[in-house]
Amino acid sequence: MSANDTIGPADDGNLIAAEYVLGVLGVAERREVERRLAQEPALVAEVAFWEERLTGLTDAVAPVSPPQAAWSRIETAIGAASPPPSVWHSLAFWRSFAIASATLAAASIAALAYIGLVPGARTPLMATLSGSAGQPNFVASVTATGNTLVIVPAALLTNDPRAYELWLIPSGETRPRSLGLVQPGQPIRLEIPSDLAGRLTPDATLAVSLEPPGGSPTGLPTGPVIAAGKLTNL
Amino acid sequence: MVYQDTSAKLFGVCLRILNDKSEAEDVLQDVYVTVWRKAAGFDPGRASPITWLVAITRNRAIDRLRASAVSRRMEPIEAADGVSDPAPAAVERVELAQQHQRLARCLEGLEARHSAAIRAAFLDGATYEELAQRMSVPLGTMKSWIRRGLLKLRACLEG
Repeated sequence: MSANDTIGPADDGNLIAAEYVLGVLGVAERREVERRLAQEPALVAEVAFWEERLTGLTDAVAPVSPPQAAWSRIETAIGAASPPPSVWHSLAFWRSFAIASATLAAASIAALAYIGLVPGARTPLMATLSGSAGQPNFVASVTATGNTLVIVPAALLTNDPRAYELWLIPSGETRPRSLGLVQPGQPIRLEIPSDLAGRLTPDATLAVSLEPPGGSPTGLPTGPVIAAGKLTNL
Repeated sequence: MVYQDTSAKLFGVCLRILNDKSEAEDVLQDVYVTVWRKAAGFDPGRASPITWLVAITRNRAIDRLRASAVSRRMEPIEAADGVSDPAPAAVERVELAQQHQRLARCLEGLEARHSAAIRAAFLDGATYEELAQRMSVPLGTMKSWIRRGLLKLRACLEG
């Protein structure tokens, strides 16, 4: 190869992010880039640039539906996954709206990615559960059959020692029905009892209240409602 | 449905890189469990959702490819095998589709063999060595093609 054909090491530094995203690096080099990503914001931005610009190449790849068995395995793995190491609890107060909306988008993706994978699922329902100031606190999605509900925290909640209980107020009714306890720091999947499954319909309301450990002793909310929202068709 | 499309897209990406159904399923599982657990790590100011999902998927698939004994894709890469302008997927938002068109235009501005190498690298997760073998050129030449291509591509994408 002629010298003319080579690019000197000086240029390499600028391209390591592109090479990482492109996928041409070996294992050791990839780990080295990832180590640097943890401490070099400029490199993070560079990787993001290339990821955003090059993703379009995957349009050329034909989509292939994963086999149904793949879903069961994912479901099992998610069910068994230990709670994520949480940043939620280290922060005492609601974060800025900017962070809340970023987290909302992420929560929506997680909730929908989960529900959307269920084989045969028709259009799921979704609800954003907001607090009294309008800030989104949870995002929930429900399979079209109403059997499974996924609720993902969309904000950084205080580490309140009380239990977070999820309620359903069916459309046209006033009495809340408990759907179970949720977690402020991790996504939760709830199986809905068959007598309530049919009532998770558009315009039904979901709400979260703070309750004594273990949940409301009365079967009705006893503490403050910190988030509520209506189910809507996606 | 939109999110079923997402899993099909991601599974397609895994299959293309790994060329092995059961390995691809493993990676897909890994991706969705990661998305499920690390949703808070998603930063919409930095990336669109599909970019985020594809990046996680490609990184996992490439790591699996490097670690496994899966037989590598070694068929020759033809410079002429220009991938036609892909129709934007239904899930893409308009600005994303525009960005993809821009990428296609910028790639067309590269030397054919440079853009062929870049496409193959991205879609197959191939290393410099594999690409050099598949295009029957010395390793140094392949590195040079790709790096020149990337520099030109960046100038075009930023311009």
